[in-house]
Amino acid sequence: MKVRFWGTRGSLAVAQKAASIGDKIAAALVAARGRTFADVAEARAFAESELDFATFGTYGGATSCVEVEAGGEGDAFIVCDLGSGLREFGLDAMGRCARGHARVYHVFLSHLHWDHICGFPFFVPVFDPAAEVVIHSGHPDAETALRRQQEEISFPVAFDWLRANISFRTLEVGTRYPIGAVTVEMIEQHHSHLSYGYKFTDAAGKSVVYSTDSEHKIDKMDAETAFVGFFGGCDLVICDTMYSLADSISMKEDWGHSSNVVAIDLCHEAEAKRLALFHHEPTYSDADLQRMHQESIRYEELTRETAPLEVLCAYDGLVVDV
Amino acid sequence: MGTSILVWSVVSHDGAARVVKPAGKIDESTATPFGERLAEEIEAAATDGLAKVVVDLSHIEYMSSRGLRGLTLGQRKASEHKVAIVLAQPNEIMREILAISRYDKVFKVFDSVAEAVAG
Ligand SMILES: [Zn+2]
Ligand SMILES: [Zn+2]
Repeated sequence: MKVRFWGTRGSLAVAQKAASIGDKIAAALVAARGRTFADVAEARAFAESELDFATFGTYGGATSCVEVEAGGEGDAFIVCDLGSGLREFGLDAMGRCARGHARVYHVFLSHLHWDHICGFPFFVPVFDPAAEVVIHSGHPDAETALRRQQEEISFPVAFDWLRANISFRTLEVGTRYPIGAVTVEMIEQHHSHLSYGYKFTDAAGKSVVYSTDSEHKIDKMDAETAFVGFFGGCDLVICDTMYSLADSISMKEDWGHSSNVVAIDLCHEAEAKRLALFHHEPTYSDADLQRMHQESIRYEELTRETAPLEVLCAYDGLVVDV
Repeated sequence: MGTSILVWSVVSHDGAARVVKPAGKIDESTATPFGERLAEEIEAAATDGLAKVVVDLSHIEYMSSRGLRGLTLGQRKASEHKVAIVLAQPNEIMREILAISRYDKVFKVFDSVAEAVAG
């Protein structure tokens, strides 16, 4: 399997400002220490190998959208959430369809908050009459949410004008669904109006969990046993790590999100292999996120009892081979 | 993760604070007894009319989020009794964990037990 992150930011899409790009360029020039480069390719090679990620790159600012590629061209696309990252996924998918990929999209919605559905009106495949889009959700009101955001007061193109064959399917916790090239299971999560996590397992037994907008409540720590079971032995677990642990139990308690520290603990207990930090706080700069990533790696080392857990920090454009 | 045993020692400081020193690792296997024992210590401090419980962190191997959140639950319980929980002499590992979790922003952390008792 391959996992492609099209949008990794939480709550609100963000963009880089001129000043932060300026800071990156200034830091890169200092790091070059007067070196000269024959051409752009040589300069790029230097930047890629010598600069840290926050200087050379960016975590990006599109909201939740993660593609799970399982099977081949003949199999359906699998997409978790319809955040603003969906726009770019849609364009890329159209290109792949032009090269022969099946025009079937299986969407899995964590929940219906705006940052997880706002990309849908910009999803080009819904204008493809040959496309089939199945929107799976734990929420029976998923269709209402998607139709409502395309009402005239909010958007110029009505839902009924979309050309693809769009259907909605409500899934239930505790059932294993064979869908496309994977088997899908769902877990209920604590979040305003509820949210659901998904586990995708392919024919080879590799598994990926997508668990965002999930608060692990301080007064219900026993409920974490279910998540440890759900994450059990997974090859990649994508977790909501929006806040620090301290914020998640103080000022931002009941805001519906979790921390890097709790995600690492759950993955350790579950003996998962890799964790991707996800649903990044919109006020965090690239430097903040890079620091959070380094701290997460360090916390994993300090609290490790058995096999190491690899901690990745998801960014828009990251592709992980599972 | 393997089971680990928590060992506690308790010293009262002349009417100022109850000082508790848990030793071992506090993770999901020990968090429940840790929380229960902390609650007992808070009760004991309240009964003795003490306004503070000092948790000496020098002998903690590490503390996962379970232990950290146990401290917060302890603090919530302690507040009902008008007792404060403060942290003292974290070892290097605990100092790092308090910084990474930002718990050093929600608890008072003192370099020594004496400062914690006085502070
Ligand atoms: Zn969200
Ligand atoms: Zn949400």
